[in-house]
Amino acid sequence: MRRDVFQAIADPNRRAILALLATQLLTLNGIAEKFDISRPAVSKHIKILEQCGLINIKQQGRERYCEVRMERLNEVSDWVEKYRKIWEEKLDALENYLTQLQAKEKKNVK
Amino acid sequence: MLNKIDGKTTKFTDKELIITRIFNAPRELVWKAWTEPEHLMRWWGPKNFTCPAYKIDFRVGGKYHSCMKSAEGQEYWSTGTYKEIIPLERIVCTDSFADEKGKVVPGSYYGMPTDNWPMEFTITITFEDFGNQTKMTLTHFGIPIGQMKEMTGTGWNESFDKLADSLK
Repeated sequence: MRRDVFQAIADPNRRAILALLATQLLTLNGIAEKFDISRPAVSKHIKILEQCGLINIKQQGRERYCEVRMERLNEVSDWVEKYRKIWEEKLDALENYLTQLQAKEKKNVK
Repeated sequence: MLNKIDGKTTKFTDKELIITRIFNAPRELVWKAWTEPEHLMRWWGPKNFTCPAYKIDFRVGGKYHSCMKSAEGQEYWSTGTYKEIIPLERIVCTDSFADEKGKVVPGSYYGMPTDNWPMEFTITITFEDFGNQTKMTLTHFGIPIGQMKEMTGTGWNESFDKLADSLK
């Protein structure tokens, strides 16, 4: 499966990592310390997040820091917005149709 | 929030997209418009779309298979199964992209940028009397918006605020 932002947020641990990184810059070790899951498991999630383009890993001296790219999440909200718009337009159409239908009924009664 | 003058409300909660509308029509008519193909075909689809096909097996466990066609002629098929039907009150069904034969397909089939978007959503539609009008509430489960709200970073909050503003 292709690595993308949708896959990144599909896993609750990855969402938790993103939430953590949203407010602070942490090293790989710093992240692992905050989770009950094993260090290799945390590393794997971080790798996936990096491949999905949601975090950058920066080497600073001996430490590797993870930086989140929140703007990438906009891709998801853009799609949600499209969904909403489609529904709103459908319901506009329903509204018009119901009006037409009732106007026709009235006419027939007369 | 529900009593907004134009009778339209959209809000996001955990993992749901909720849309409320007040229709100036009796509940029986709104129900018919949602459940009978000959009515659905007259309105189903966003602006400038038509609905050339809407097949329904309206019973719990039954399926629907519908098509929306854009002005350019692109067809978008979808399918789902009815999970719950309470006449004049409530419909629960699933919703997936499909091909014209009714087989479920991933969003990428229709140009969505991903195969990782959920393959199936659950939709609940409820109908209530609202004076002489009808209040309809559509709840779309499965959209990962609520999950994303957990991410409280500044950048994210800003874009969410923007989204919220656009819904006002």
